[in-house]
Amino acid sequence: MSRSSNIPAALFLRLLLWLLAFVTITPFLLLLLTSIKSKADVLRGAFALPAYPHFENYVDAWNAGHFNIYFWNSIIVVIPVVAVSVFLGLLTGFAFAYLSFPLRRTLFAILTLGMMVPAEAFIIPLYYEMRYLGLINTYAALIIPQIAMSIPFSTIFLASAMQQLPEEVLEAAVLDGAGRFHILRKIVIPLMIPAMSTLALFLFIWTWNEFLIPFILVNDDAYRTLPLGMLFFQGRYTVNTPVLTAGAVIVIFPLILTYLVFQRRFIAGLTAGATK
Amino acid sequence: MKRSALDGTQHTNFIYLLPGLLLYAAFVFGPIVAALGLSLTSWDGLSMPRWVGLGNYADLFSDSRFYIALRNNAELMIFYCVLPLVLGITLAACVWNLKQREQLALRTFLFLPYIMPTAVLGIIWAWLYNPAFGPFNQFLRAIGLGRFALPWLGDFNFVLPAVGIVATWYFFGFCMVIFLTGIQRIDPSLFDAAKVDGASARKTFFWITLPLLMPEIRVVLLLTVIASIKSFDLIFTMTRGGPANATLVPNIYMYQLGFELNRFGAAAAIAIVGALLTFAINYAIHRLVGSRSKGVA
Repeated sequence: MSRSSNIPAALFLRLLLWLLAFVTITPFLLLLLTSIKSKADVLRGAFALPAYPHFENYVDAWNAGHFNIYFWNSIIVVIPVVAVSVFLGLLTGFAFAYLSFPLRRTLFAILTLGMMVPAEAFIIPLYYEMRYLGLINTYAALIIPQIAMSIPFSTIFLASAMQQLPEEVLEAAVLDGAGRFHILRKIVIPLMIPAMSTLALFLFIWTWNEFLIPFILVNDDAYRTLPLGMLFFQGRYTVNTPVLTAGAVIVIFPLILTYLVFQRRFIAGLTAGATK
Repeated sequence: MKRSALDGTQHTNFIYLLPGLLLYAAFVFGPIVAALGLSLTSWDGLSMPRWVGLGNYADLFSDSRFYIALRNNAELMIFYCVLPLVLGITLAACVWNLKQREQLALRTFLFLPYIMPTAVLGIIWAWLYNPAFGPFNQFLRAIGLGRFALPWLGDFNFVLPAVGIVATWYFFGFCMVIFLTGIQRIDPSLFDAAKVDGASARKTFFWITLPLLMPEIRVVLLLTVIASIKSFDLIFTMTRGGPANATLVPNIYMYQLGFELNRFGAAAAIAIVGALLTFAINYAIHRLVGSRSKGVA
């Protein structure tokens, strides 16, 4: 582990590391490259450069591939899921951090159960429940279960962040005669902004990437989100690789952008959440 | 007893708890309990469910396809858990003493796959592996290894590693990041002491870094094992479990039984077995890796 005194070996190691990094992102680079090719360019080889960039693939994917619909559906789903999940996480997290109530440990265990049991395990009853409620093929089918599924993580993440707030500040507010809603709104929430935005970031990525819920609960093209749209697009356009890859870029571009902007916060939150 | 200065009477406390818990109960916990009940019935989705007790479970454990699915899942764990863990820890040890800026750049690149939707990654890799115009085989031909250019996702022997490699690619950067933060948590004086004692880099790694990283190893194992048991998106978009069950895993089988053959009771039984398996492995990892880390610390 000590700093290598052997200069050529250290240089070789770094070269190897960068080569690995390059190989790791090669699928994304190939995706970008192919998305601006013509069909004829594709036949000339995966690594050949096109004579000029064919940005019309993006127009084709956006319109003919219905990515305009999928993109807006993803936005329509992701905003309420993130907003409501963070809000409900604040309330339940507040309760678990500061308040006493009966069956506290049992309720906490039931909540963590939901974090361990994958959606695959309860998708069948969930499907029939949504059908009974008449919600199959609606935005509600995409939004409500995903909020419910995010409650365990939101609660535990925000409760443990709240427990780290200085107790004296809260006690002082109570002595000043402030009500609890008031303290939550004016003191706790402002102090929780960093934790809340990290949580929102995670929920955004998870919701944007969710596959099973829209796959099972929605079969109308008008309600498909991006990952689902991509699957059905693949079925229809198997031969048109440039347009398929343009579609993939439309799905992952918001993710890469978010990741690059928030990368430090993202990784800090990830490791904090994971090692807890 | 009051938990904090903010604590109030119990029924006013419930106001904070209720909205989240009700939603969770209705759309997560309720369905989990219902899945447990459903797994004890035979149901086609239309007629009344018929009580069969543990019949579905008995059927499963005499079903050769279910054993194939379990075995495939076990083999996939090499790619989901073992390889990313080994690669991640090795890389973390290499990247750790690089300059801040270079470390950040490498971390950013290697971590990138982890934030992507696995369903879309499956579609992208299905294209990369395409036997006719996929970049992977074109690359092999270009460097003179054309005889290794296989129809990767159609080859009975190579399809499982081909799918598995995608999972390794997805997870190893994530593992590296967790291990990097773990190494930064370790007291630097330990490394200095080892240096003073003239310990080799290898010795330092195996006697200081590795034992002190046990909590991180546990977390990484837990997350990747759970991911391998719930693997569905990646495999569904790449192979749908084929060819000839070569990549069939329990969740794909669950989907086929439930949503293709309308055998919802049997499908629910698979889902429950998967959840129980997750708990069991979770518990085992806590016992095995957890106790060892306590012994060292």
